Amino acid sequence: MEDNEQPSHDSAATAAAALEQKHAAMLERLANRHQSRATAKPDSNSSGSTQSFLSQFSQSKLSIDDQISRIRTQPNPPQKAELEAISLGISALEKLVAEHSYLLPPYEVRNSLTAITHLRQTLDDASAAVAPKKKFSFKNKSSKKSAAPASDQKSEVVSEVESNKTNPRLGKLGLMDSSAAPGFRNKDKEELEMEFNRGEVDARNGEFTLSNLRDCEVRLKGCLRALFVDNVVKCKVYVGAVMGSVLIEGAEGCVFVLASHQIRIHNAKKCSFYLRVRSRPIIEDSNGVRFAPYCLSYRGIEEDLAEANLDEETGNWANVDDFRWLRALQSPNWSLLPEHDRVGMLNTDKKNEK
Amino acid sequence: MGLLSIIRKIKRKEKEMRILMVGLDNSGKTTIVMKINGEDTSVISPTLGFNIKTMAYQKYTLNIWDVGGQRTIRSYWRNYFEQTDGLVWVVDSSDLRRLDDCKYELDNLLKEERLSGASLLIFANKQDIQGSLSPDEIAKVLYLDAMDKSRHWKIVGCSAFTGEGLLEGFDWMVQDIASRIYMLD
Ligand SMILES: Nc1nc2c(ncn2[C@@H]2O[C@H](COP(=O)(O)OP(=O)(O)OP(=O)(O)O)[C@@H](O)[C@H]2O)c(=O)[nH]1
Ligand SMILES: [Mg+2]
Repeated sequence: MEDNEQPSHDSAATAAAALEQKHAAMLERLANRHQSRATAKPDSNSSGSTQSFLSQFSQSKLSIDDQISRIRTQPNPPQKAELEAISLGISALEKLVAEHSYLLPPYEVRNSLTAITHLRQTLDDASAAVAPKKKFSFKNKSSKKSAAPASDQKSEVVSEVESNKTNPRLGKLGLMDSSAAPGFRNKDKEELEMEFNRGEVDARNGEFTLSNLRDCEVRLKGCLRALFVDNVVKCKVYVGAVMGSVLIEGAEGCVFVLASHQIRIHNAKKCSFYLRVRSRPIIEDSNGVRFAPYCLSYRGIEEDLAEANLDEETGNWANVDDFRWLRALQSPNWSLLPEHDRVGMLNTDKKNEK
Repeated sequence: MGLLSIIRKIKRKEKEMRILMVGLDNSGKTTIVMKINGEDTSVISPTLGFNIKTMAYQKYTLNIWDVGGQRTIRSYWRNYFEQTDGLVWVVDSSDLRRLDDCKYELDNLLKEERLSGASLLIFANKQDIQGSLSPDEIAKVLYLDAMDKSRHWKIVGCSAFTGEGLLEGFDWMVQDIASRIYMLD
């Protein structure tokens, strides 16, 4: 945490990237440390420690918040020592997270780190506001554009953690017949193609469903708003641009090539995902899932991707979060698809592409 | 312990309202909060834990807790029940297949003693998507009419994509909470 100090003139973007790297490096170090511990703690223990961590964390954070707001409102400009003391407090908090992160759920780790980034920013802002000519510069300077995704900003940890419980599912309500919505359903060994056409505004405002498919090849071209996939087995699914989210519940032995803003993968087994995605893909209750970058082409795909704001590669295909994996260590449920195992560029214009 | 009583004290002083946003994953909670707060909604990841947004709304300060809805973390929702003034339940009106899940989770939530005094706003979100159910249809599927008579609730169709309906919903909720809490002070 103490290496790679930022020169203060760095642009926000560089600083954010560096901060992210630093966090990643820290997590890696911690993960390694964890690996080197001979005995792993059983899960049942970790929830107790998580609880005590969270209460300790939130108390310290509250007191730092308090100190910062005090220097903001006090009439005299803050003393260097005052600022330093607060900065030290933040460092201590960071250390606390570091010490616990090998047994904390990854989202608590990330939330805590984001909260710390935010504290530093607030302190920076507060000291800049009261003393415009900055004589004092902090270590680990963060920037306005925090490394964490926007939705995680201003996070705070004030919670207690209880053990996970899966909810027993209720039977179908039977009130609504969902099979009326547009989609491909209950097919076996078929080639299915659908074009959401450019120009037809209605089509691209719609959602589409793939349900109960087996041994099928599905090609969706154009832009659509949302894609729901459930219970597909041994299928190949090639999709153009999804302007919203993809939700997959139940897939086995499939290959998905998808571009979308968000993707949530539940209950997938032994599947490959070639993704372009604007946010972090998540998996839950899945295993043997592998990830690679998007590799689809057909006539007009560039326009579709641009239209859906998906023309840029964000690299997020590799930033997978596993909700079932409670440690900072790499999840055993997913991996990156090694380059030599990836399919090449897939063109869905010609039929029977292999 | 100490923390909660501090929050409560400050809340009464500064007209703060604590709003809890829950609903299945992918329903659009985070997008709604960002949109209402005037932030960029183009890159939002599924929520791993929770986010807190503090924003001024009319003459009140809203503390909005946006909690992730993935199945694995739904059991954590209860950590956020305490002191909740307003409960926002967000429904993806285009996700017909998971409406039973949605009803099940909502029913569970409404049994919760600690939430019994909270105003309930149901957002039938994603109205912009063709083929999504109307607020009336959602109300029927969720059996909202069968709810406890003492509960203050309202369902509003909305789209976090276009922003339509969001202010109508929040206006109702803030007014409802204000009339319960601050009139009595
Ligand atoms: N078309 C359309 N898409 C929406 C709307 N609201 C949200 N979305 C999309 O739905 C997806 C899920 O939105 P989120 O805000 O991440 O959902 P969430 O409820 O916070 O999900 P979790 O954090 O997993 O609980 C995103 O791709 C949004 O762009 C809407 O009103 N219309
Ligand atoms: Mg969210």
